[in-house]
Amino acid sequence: MTNTVTKGPAMLGIQSIASYLPRGRVDNLEQADWFETDREFVEQKIGVSTLPRFEAEDSVVSASVSAFKSLCEKESVDPAEIECVVLCTQNPDNGGLPHNSALVHAELGLSEDCACFDIGLGCSGYVYGLSVIQSFMAANDMKKGLLFTCDPYSKILNPEDKNTCLLFGDAASVTLISDTPRYTLSSAKFATKGAGSEALQKNDNLLEMNGRAVFNFALQDVPKQIKRVLENAELKMENVDLFLLHQGSRFMLENTIKRAGIPAEKAPIKLSNTGNTISSSIPLLLEKELDNNPGAILMSGFGVGLSWATAIYTQVK
Amino acid sequence: MNREEAVKIVMSMLEKNVDGLEMSEDKMDKTLVDLGVDSLDVMLVIMDVGEATGVEITDDQAEELDTPEKIVEFVTKQ
Repeated sequence: MTNTVTKGPAMLGIQSIASYLPRGRVDNLEQADWFETDREFVEQKIGVSTLPRFEAEDSVVSASVSAFKSLCEKESVDPAEIECVVLCTQNPDNGGLPHNSALVHAELGLSEDCACFDIGLGCSGYVYGLSVIQSFMAANDMKKGLLFTCDPYSKILNPEDKNTCLLFGDAASVTLISDTPRYTLSSAKFATKGAGSEALQKNDNLLEMNGRAVFNFALQDVPKQIKRVLENAELKMENVDLFLLHQGSRFMLENTIKRAGIPAEKAPIKLSNTGNTISSSIPLLLEKELDNNPGAILMSGFGVGLSWATAIYTQVK
Repeated sequence: MNREEAVKIVMSMLEKNVDGLEMSEDKMDKTLVDLGVDSLDVMLVIMDVGEATGVEITDDQAEELDTPEKIVEFVTKQ
């Protein structure tokens, strides 16, 4: 008779985060002058004074690799232990063929025993991506994985469209998912309104955004989902230490926060020097906020799709 | 909805969402731009008016509503 040892799935979650901002910068106030837009409007309402922009040498893969190097400066990461790489982008290098996670895999010299795939989501991508990579790793008994986000909208901006040129910045992030996590998932909800997808789309390789439709979506649908996730987790606003909402624009954020009934002091708005960095906006914030050891964190990403996702992560004691 | 109710809602939503704006009847025909309502404030005002009156205002319809009076006329006709 053989004794079998039943092994439960490893508890996976967020161990660490690092990011990369390209050296290129656009002075948004100078851009405002060029577009004949009020500087105060750009600073106070859009909330962005400087935009990081990819330069000629930057790419999704190089930015992701740079984020990983930054991760290695704060964590001891053994590339040989990485069993899964997921990269979230809708503006991949080489049109996404090959999948950019494979190119990152090559650059980092990872083991062949490593699953790699890309996921195509916009501003909801980080919250989705966390759930995807953790589920995939748990299902396949993996212990260390990397979730990258990098969506350089500068590749698809219409230089004559002030609504998008004044808003979007380029960045990359990497999140180390491991079996020795600092934060694990408590509860999440995912939603889609495909009928509204024209609000944010690419046409002739240029980004088109219906600002009013995106604004209405953010203010009407996101607060409802936040409340549902809290109810599902049997938590109240006061039980959550930090609300990290996708940094779309200052005006949209302030009003989404207000409508959701979130205490403003718990919901940072920090996009002045980054702009809207799509799926990287939440991890950029989270990287900084982890230093404060928040107990419970609610993250909500919303945008292209229209897609929105909200999750609560709690600190492992 | 009668005009009086609609005027009250439109005025209060403008004042709520636009810093420093004090509404009065004589400002109803001024353009929103002249009243200092920027393009983002307009979106918020239209959304709040729609929710307060129960009237659905589509994006295309909203584009045409460039004075407080036009917003009032729109919601009273529904």
